[in-house]
Amino acid sequence: MLRFTLERFAGMVVTMLLVSVMVFLIMEIPPGDYADRYAFRKYSGTGVNVTEADIEAIRRDLGLDQPMLLRYFDWIGGIVLRGDFGQAFAFETSVAKVIGDKVWLTAGILFATLLLTYLVSIPVGIYAAVRRGSAVDYGLTVFSYLGLALPNFLLALVMLYFANRWFGADIGGLFSDQYRDAPWSLAKAWDMAKHLWLSAVVLAWSAVAYQIQTVRATMSDELNKLSVTAARARGVPELKLLVKYPARLAINPVVSTIGFDVNRIFSELPIVAVVLGLTELGELLLKAYLDLDMNVAGAILLLLTFAIVFMNFLSDLLLGWLDPRIKLGV
Amino acid sequence: MSKMLSVENLSISFRTDEGVITPVKGVSFTVEKGRTLGLVGESGSGKSISTKALMQLLPGTARLGAASRMIYTAKDGQQISLGNLRHGSKELRRIRGGEIGMIFQEPMASFSPVYTIGNQMMEAIMLHRGLKKREARQFAIGMLNKVGISNAAARVDQYPHELSGGMRQRAMIALTLSAGPALLIADEPTTALDVTIQAQVLDLMRDLQRELGMGMIFITHDLGVIAQIADDVAVMYLGTIVERGPAKEVIRNPQHPYTQGLLDAIPSLDHLHDRLKPVPGDIPSPTARPGGCPFHTRCTQAIAGTCEVHEPPETSAIPGCAVRCWLHTSQGRSAA
Ligand SMILES: Nc1ncnc2c1ncn2[C@@H]1O[C@H](COP(=O)(O)OP(=O)(O)OP(=O)(O)O)[C@@H](O)[C@H]1O
Ligand SMILES: [Mg+2]
Repeated sequence: MLRFTLERFAGMVVTMLLVSVMVFLIMEIPPGDYADRYAFRKYSGTGVNVTEADIEAIRRDLGLDQPMLLRYFDWIGGIVLRGDFGQAFAFETSVAKVIGDKVWLTAGILFATLLLTYLVSIPVGIYAAVRRGSAVDYGLTVFSYLGLALPNFLLALVMLYFANRWFGADIGGLFSDQYRDAPWSLAKAWDMAKHLWLSAVVLAWSAVAYQIQTVRATMSDELNKLSVTAARARGVPELKLLVKYPARLAINPVVSTIGFDVNRIFSELPIVAVVLGLTELGELLLKAYLDLDMNVAGAILLLLTFAIVFMNFLSDLLLGWLDPRIKLGV
Repeated sequence: MSKMLSVENLSISFRTDEGVITPVKGVSFTVEKGRTLGLVGESGSGKSISTKALMQLLPGTARLGAASRMIYTAKDGQQISLGNLRHGSKELRRIRGGEIGMIFQEPMASFSPVYTIGNQMMEAIMLHRGLKKREARQFAIGMLNKVGISNAAARVDQYPHELSGGMRQRAMIALTLSAGPALLIADEPTTALDVTIQAQVLDLMRDLQRELGMGMIFITHDLGVIAQIADDVAVMYLGTIVERGPAKEVIRNPQHPYTQGLLDAIPSLDHLHDRLKPVPGDIPSPTARPGGCPFHTRCTQAIAGTCEVHEPPETSAIPGCAVRCWLHTSQGRSAA
């Protein structure tokens, strides 16, 4: 397992390196560079005549006249060594400040959504497979189709309505008013959790519907395996049998798509965020792109891709543990 | 000799999309303590499901006929009606593995690929022998040794795919026997193996059966294998037993035309160059089970007007043997 872990870890580092190069190239794509945009923003409307030489000076100041390779290392080095993502152009402050809290909130929503998705879909999918053809199974199938058909934002609106009626007014956003600008504390975290579940339910909805069907299908296959009958014929108690033999392999496709789920949740986040009044990274990413604020956009992209690559690493380890044939290379 | 298992009138039906089918109908057989019953018949005759019914291993779509009786005498002498055990009951779990063990045709598929041989053996040993982990491991190693696996102390930590086919089946035998069953059901345990390995595994099973004094049901479609391993034999055709009796007697002097056909189909050593002669005709599908004697569509000696109309009763011309065929009844003989 150690060798397997090290191999996968090395794979993750290499992938992150490649991804960071790609993100850097994406940041370079828009015409003009940071100096152009900085100068334009600073002096436009002021009547000052900006010459090529002025921009050149800004460029030199910021080190933008260096070769691309050097700038790449400067950029990634700052991020890895100091957590410094450079200057945010539109907000005239550091990128780290701009994305700051939003990173944690987004990570919180992502994590809560993933957890909810798996905690619900895995046991329910297993149950549906075991009770295949029963009324409960049919009911779950109908729910799944509903879950897949219903647009997220619609669900968010409906949920918001009911949450307001049942849990009192202030359910939109991530915090109640009194905690919005308060420093972090246990009470504030609890307040966030109370708000988080709504976004998590909305975002997990379609994933739950989808993964229930996945688990149900693979579990049905696994239940028909001879090895399961053989274990049953040895008198293994039914619940232990289900968990130890078929379920362990049935969750493989779910585990292997964790990274994919992260990506999907992130792309669905902005529209849900708009309805629920959240401020998260997706919305900021969009805005940064429109403003050509490439340092901010790059930072968000890099964080997102790193998160996905890291989750893929975790899912690889989990798969290797679930099915030893994978790490033995069979 | 005492009966350890007595099956009477076992019928099995399945709900299917094409309606209810009854692939096993009125099957009766007994297994004596310390003896091997060979269950022989072509594919689809219902050998596997008949034995799975004993351990309640049939899928939820299966139903047993109301008259079905399966009485098993446990190691402690208690008589247990296998059909009446509650699902999930402790008693059923004790029967499964601890009283009746089962070995299947595919040794690879019978093991879970994600646990070591030792893990699966220790699970059974701890369940049925009440040993602690460490002792269970020693017991497993001893058992692997017993079935002729060399270097058992290392093999115990290997995964099933790391063993060869023959080794895997030996390990499966060790796994099944480690729970200490009094009755062993072997469902075509050698079919998936090479011919030379088949003979070795067959020898091993016969030796272990004698040494441990187990009763055994050995399923095969090869009467040649029956001659090597079985004391008694029951010949199944389309879900009914058409002939049963001591193996030697049945093989030397087969009464039923189907048994005669199966015997003719064995390639004999003296005539290896002869082409194998299968029983002529196709097996009817279980959804279109012929009326009367199920074999009449393929029987060369069928009596017109009788065999396709009435089901033959079981008669006993030779002591200890029984046959279901109109040719062996006075009515049938007079009609012919
Ligand atoms: N789950 C099921 N649903 C419906 N019918 C079934 C099911 N399982 C078995 N059958 C029917 O029972 C018949 C007998 O099956 P069984 O597996 O006992 O045959 P067998 O004698 O063991 O044959 P083989 O030598 O191929 O193993 C099959 O032909 C099939 O029609
Ligand atoms: Mg079979």
